[in-house]
Formats: sequence, C-alpha cells, structure tokens
Amino acid sequence: MITLTHFLLVSAALFCIGMYAIIAKRNAIMILVGIEFIINAAILNLVAFSRYDRAEYGGQIFALFAIVLAAAAVAVGLAIILSVYRKHQTINPDKITDLRD
Amino acid sequence: MNVNFHISPELGSLLVVLLPFAGFLYQLIAGKQARSGLIPSLAMLVSGLISVAFVFPAIWNKTPFSVELEWFTIGQYSLGFGLHLNNLSVLMQLVVCLIALPVHFYSKHYMKNDPGIHRYWTFLSLFCTAMLGLTIASNLFMMYVFWELIGFASYLLIGFWFDRPAAVQANKKAFIINRIGDLGFLLGIAAVFTTYGSLNLLDLFGPDGLVRGTSPLSEGWATFTGCCFLLAAMAKSAQFPLHVWLPDAMEGPTSVSSLIHAATMVAAGVFLLSSIFPIFNQTVLLLTAIIGCFTALIAALFALTQHDIKKILAFSTVSQLGYMIASIGMGAWDAAMLHLTTHAFFKCLLFLGAGAIIHELAHFKSNSGLNFDPQNIQFMGGLRRFMPKTFLLMTVAALALAGFPLTSGFLSKDAILVHSFQWAQQAGGGTLLIPLTLSVVSVLTAFYIGRMIIKVFMGRFHFQKETEQTPIQEATSGMLLPMGFLALGSLAIGFSLHPLSYHQAYILTGLSAATIATESSLIPIVLPIILTLSAAAGWWLGWYWYIRQRYPFSESNKWIAWSANQGYLNQAYERAITNSTLRLSTFTYWIDRNLVDGLVHLSVWFTRQLAFTSAWIDRYLVDGLVNTTAALAYQIGHLLRGVQNGRLQNYLGFAFTILLIGIVYLIFK
Repeated sequence: MITLTHFLLVSAALFCIGMYAIIAKRNAIMILVGIEFIINAAILNLVAFSRYDRAEYGGQIFALFAIVLAAAAVAVGLAIILSVYRKHQTINPDKITDLRD
Repeated sequence: MNVNFHISPELGSLLVVLLPFAGFLYQLIAGKQARSGLIPSLAMLVSGLISVAFVFPAIWNKTPFSVELEWFTIGQYSLGFGLHLNNLSVLMQLVVCLIALPVHFYSKHYMKNDPGIHRYWTFLSLFCTAMLGLTIASNLFMMYVFWELIGFASYLLIGFWFDRPAAVQANKKAFIINRIGDLGFLLGIAAVFTTYGSLNLLDLFGPDGLVRGTSPLSEGWATFTGCCFLLAAMAKSAQFPLHVWLPDAMEGPTSVSSLIHAATMVAAGVFLLSSIFPIFNQTVLLLTAIIGCFTALIAALFALTQHDIKKILAFSTVSQLGYMIASIGMGAWDAAMLHLTTHAFFKCLLFLGAGAIIHELAHFKSNSGLNFDPQNIQFMGGLRRFMPKTFLLMTVAALALAGFPLTSGFLSKDAILVHSFQWAQQAGGGTLLIPLTLSVVSVLTAFYIGRMIIKVFMGRFHFQKETEQTPIQEATSGMLLPMGFLALGSLAIGFSLHPLSYHQAYILTGLSAATIATESSLIPIVLPIILTLSAAAGWWLGWYWYIRQRYPFSESNKWIAWSANQGYLNQAYERAITNSTLRLSTFTYWIDRNLVDGLVHLSVWFTRQLAFTSAWIDRYLVDGLVNTTAALAYQIGHLLRGVQNGRLQNYLGFAFTILLIGIVYLIFK
C-alpha cells in the first residue's frame, strides 16, 4: 500500500532535484525547470495531505490553484529570461552579476 | 637807528638765543644749498649786537630779572621755563656772543671749500643756541637740557670729519666722558629737589633764597649734592681725571676747537659752579680747590713736551680751567669768572692763530709736495718772516696767557693767585700747598707757551729751502680781522681802568663774591712782580734751549716721556676701564653664549626629544590602534565581500545551506 511517507519521499526527491537544478545549472531555462520541480513537489505534498480533509478537498483545490499560478509564473519567468538575453546576450546566470556590490 | 628803538632785556636775551636757533633751522632746511654761512653769521652778529646794546647794560649792576612760566606739572610739583638774568648770566651770555662772533667770521674763510661746510654751520648754530640758552636758563632742569645739547653739539663738531677714524674715536670719547658728568648733574638736580623742593635759580640762590634760608638735611647730604655738581663740572670743564677727552677733541676743525674747547663749552662747568656757588659746603669747596689745583699742575706738565701745536693749547686750556675751578674752590668765583672771560679771549685767539698757521702750512705742504704733519711744531720755526701779523697777534695772546703786565691774563691770574694766598693764610694747615702749586703752574705756563711761540715763529724754518719756490702766505684778512678783535680783548684795558690792578676790574666789582680780603699784606704787591719775573725767565729759558740749541734733555728721558705721553693716563684708562669693560663684555658674552643660550638649547633639545617621543607614541600606538582597527575591519570585509559576487545561484545556495544547517540543528538539538 502506498502510504503518506512514500508521497513525502517522492516529494522530497522532486524538491532536491529541483534545488540542484536551480543551484547548479548554467542555463536559465533549466533553472526555470528546477523551479517547476519544486512547485510540483509542494503540490504533491498538498495533494498527499489532503487525505485528511475528505469533506472539503481543500488541499486538492489549492493544488489546482498552484498549478495555474505555476503556469503563469513560468510565462513571466520566460519573459524575464527573454529580456535578460536581450540585454546581456546570454542566459548563463554565472555571467550576469549585476547584483554584486 | 631810531632814537626810540629799544628792546627790553628779557626780550633781548630771548632773541640772543633764538636768532642762532633760527640760523640752525635755516641751515637744516636749506641743507646743501646753504654753504656760505651768511645766515648763521648774520644771526650771530645781531645776537651779539643785542647782547651788547640792550641786554648787558640793562641788567649789569642793575636789578636782576627773572620770569618763569609753568611748563608741566607732576603731582603737586610743577616745572617751569623762563629767563633768569643777573650779572653772572648776562656776563656769560655776552662772553659767548663776543667769542662766537669772530669765530663765525673766521670760519667763513677757514672752512671755505670744505665739502661738508653746510653741516658745519648747522652744528655751529646749534652749539651757539645751546650755550646761550644755558646762560639764561631760569632753573636747573632747563640748564640740564641745554647742558646736554652742548654735549651733543660738541659731539657732532668734534666728529665733523667723520671719515677720519681718530675724529670718530675722539667724539665718542668726549661724549662718553661728558655722559659721566651729565649723570652727576642729574643726580645733583634730584638731590637739590629733594632738599629744597624747587629748581628755580632765583628761589634757590637769590638774596633770600632757600639755600641760605634753610639748613640742609645733613652735612653728608650737602656734601653729596655738591659732589654731584662738581662731577658735572669736572667732565664738562675737563678736570682731572676726566680731562682726557679735551686733548682728543682737537680732532675737530680748529675753529671749533677755539670756540668750544677753549672759550665756551668748557666754561659751562665753571659757569655752573659759579651760579650755584652757595650750595657748596666747606668739604666740597676744599675738594674742588684740590682737584682744580692738581689739574692745573698736571696739565701744565703735559703741555711742556707736546709737539702738536693744538695739543699744547688743549693742555693749556685744561690747566687754565684748573685755575678757575681751584679759584671757585677757594670761594673766589668772581675771580674765576674774570679769568674765564679773559681766558676766553686769548685762548680763542691762540687757537685761531694756530688754525691760521696749520691752514697755511697745509697749503704749503700740498704746493711743495712735501710730506709732514702741519700741526707738529718740530717742522715749524721762523714763521714770523712769512706771517708777521699772525705772529704779532699770537704773541699778544701768549703774553696774556703767561700773565705779563698790561694784558688781561695778568689781571685775572693775579686775582686768583693773590686770593689763593690770602685764603691759605686764613685756612692754614697744608692749604698753603695750593697757592704754591698754582704759582708753579703759572711759571710752567709761561714756559710752555713761550716754548710754543719760540719754536713756531723764531729760529729757522724746517723747510727753508723749499720756501724759495713756494713761499708761505700770510693768513687772509678775513681770518686776521677776527683775530685782531680778540687781541683787543686780550689787553688789560678792556677789563680794568687801571691795567695793573685787578681791584678795578669791572667784572670783579660787578660780581663781588665779597670774599677777597682787603690788602693787608705784601702779597698783592710782591706776588705779581715775582710771577712776572719768573714768567720772563721762563721765556728766556725757552729761547735759550730751543733757539740756541742748548736743550738739556734727551727724548728718552723718563720724565719727558711721561709728560709727552700725557702721564700714560690714556693707557691707564685703556687698561683699567676699556679693557676691563671689554673683558666683562667678553665674559657676559660667554655667559650669554654658553649659559643663557645653553639653557635655551637644552630646553630646545629636551622639547625636541619629548616631541619625538610623543610623535612616536602618536604614530605607533595611537595611530597603530586606529590603523589596526581599520585594517581588521577591512580584512573582515574583504573576507566576506567575495560572497557578494552577484551570482544569484550562489546566494540561493548559501541561503539553502544555512537553512539546512538550521534544520539539522533543530533536529539534533
């Protein structure tokens, strides 16, 4: 039987993969993908814990909202990457260091 | 001249002083343009006329006149300025005028062509102003002002040829020694003011003045006061041991020597003592007599062997001043004033004659190309053939100085000598030495002045051969006329109706110190005869020694050398005073150099070391602390700035790491 723990382990694995992608990738698109991973890990947690709310299914509804929002966020992220590329001619985050002192 | 033309004596005496002063101002303003000396001479002429015509007859043997206005007030005491005219002051003013006048006219010729003649007239006018002002000053303080002015003017005149080092030395010497006297005068003024509370001459010395009215604070105080004034007179009138400036003062022009150092300036001391005579007590008077007598003797001894014609006359002046001072010391200040007056005429004449000789010999020297000192009597002789008029005039003056009958010197010298014998009779004891010494001096005087006349005018001229090409000229009439005027003044007839008896001398009857005793002995009759005979013997001896070549002494004789070197007094002063002063100043210089400067240097060194230490502390401790803090902050900052590299992934990585650590901490807490 698939227990809550299994869900949480998968979720943690997804989170870790997403975290790794965000920190280590040299491509802004892949970072965006990593963010999607982490959002999905959170959504998976919401769905998994919604078993304790069988009356309202609040967790699952919240997950639906989160998916919509994630899609919007990806759209915004891609737009940012596009404008960053226009400005710097690259999307390697290592080479974009405007935030340093 | 209008019959009603009249000048009151007070205005007249004021004009007598102010006219030369106007001349002085004119010379100052006109500067180098005023070379003729016309204005100062005219001013002096008018002064002399006023003095003769209006001041002297109006005051002499009539009521004295004194007026004083307030000058300034200190506390409750006030000092005044004004005029004081009595027999003594108008006599002195007249003498100064009468001597200054021929000297002015003589100078016009004597100083012609001198490049600095405009200065000469300036200084001469200043001097005459000061001397005339001194005579009529109404109080001691005013006298002191003029006294100082006289000293200053004579300083300027002695150093007139300031490019000669000897003249500069001489005027410095004269000035310094006169300052000693000025100090005495100042102390005397202070002492008089302390005792009597007034400086006015009439208040002090008038018929019922303070000096006769009040008794002095104490005998010692009175002696001190008298000694102060005596010191003043000693410096001004060149008394031993302060006489050394006068022979050196001969470095000035001869016309100046005749006016200042024979007739007027040196007379200021005698005049001072005469005008304040009542202030002296017996102790001071005796001291005065001794100093005067000793000066007369020692200066006469020095005069015996001098070779410089002006030095002979200078020592003669010192000697005759000694006579006057001694006479004052014996109470006969009227006789002193008589001698001052007669001496002024014949000594001025002697100097002017000497000036004429020097002038002509200097011409001869430059014409003939010979090299000799035109003042040295060794190189003269036989000049009567070339300058007969000068010879005649100078002989008159020399006879007067030697005290031969029918000359003015006979009257005044006998007055002093006779009085001195009578004074010694009354005083008794060892005081007889003084008249005897004065008699010896009288004989010495006759000898040295005879020697001078004989060596200069008699015998054979030293450069006889050269005179054939370049003869020596007689002095010009511009120089001879003033000398002739003075020669008239050297004759007895100008001073007394009876040319052989001083009792009828106008000056004695006018001043009347009333101390000369009546003729009760043979002295007044015998003494003049003895003195005249011995004076004649002195002249004969001079003729015998110098013309007949029978001079008995060698130059190396110890006494001759002593006299020629002026008793080694200058050397003694040099050693005792100048050298010790120099040594003292060297010593104080050393102290200044090593102790005072050393102290300063030590404190400088100490401060520097202190400053170095505190600089080190500041640099390495205080600054070190600050720098360490700053460096530490910088290093820490530097350490951490690597983190903020603008790479968002790193930021996130760090944040996540910290989060993880936090979580791990929470788990394993």
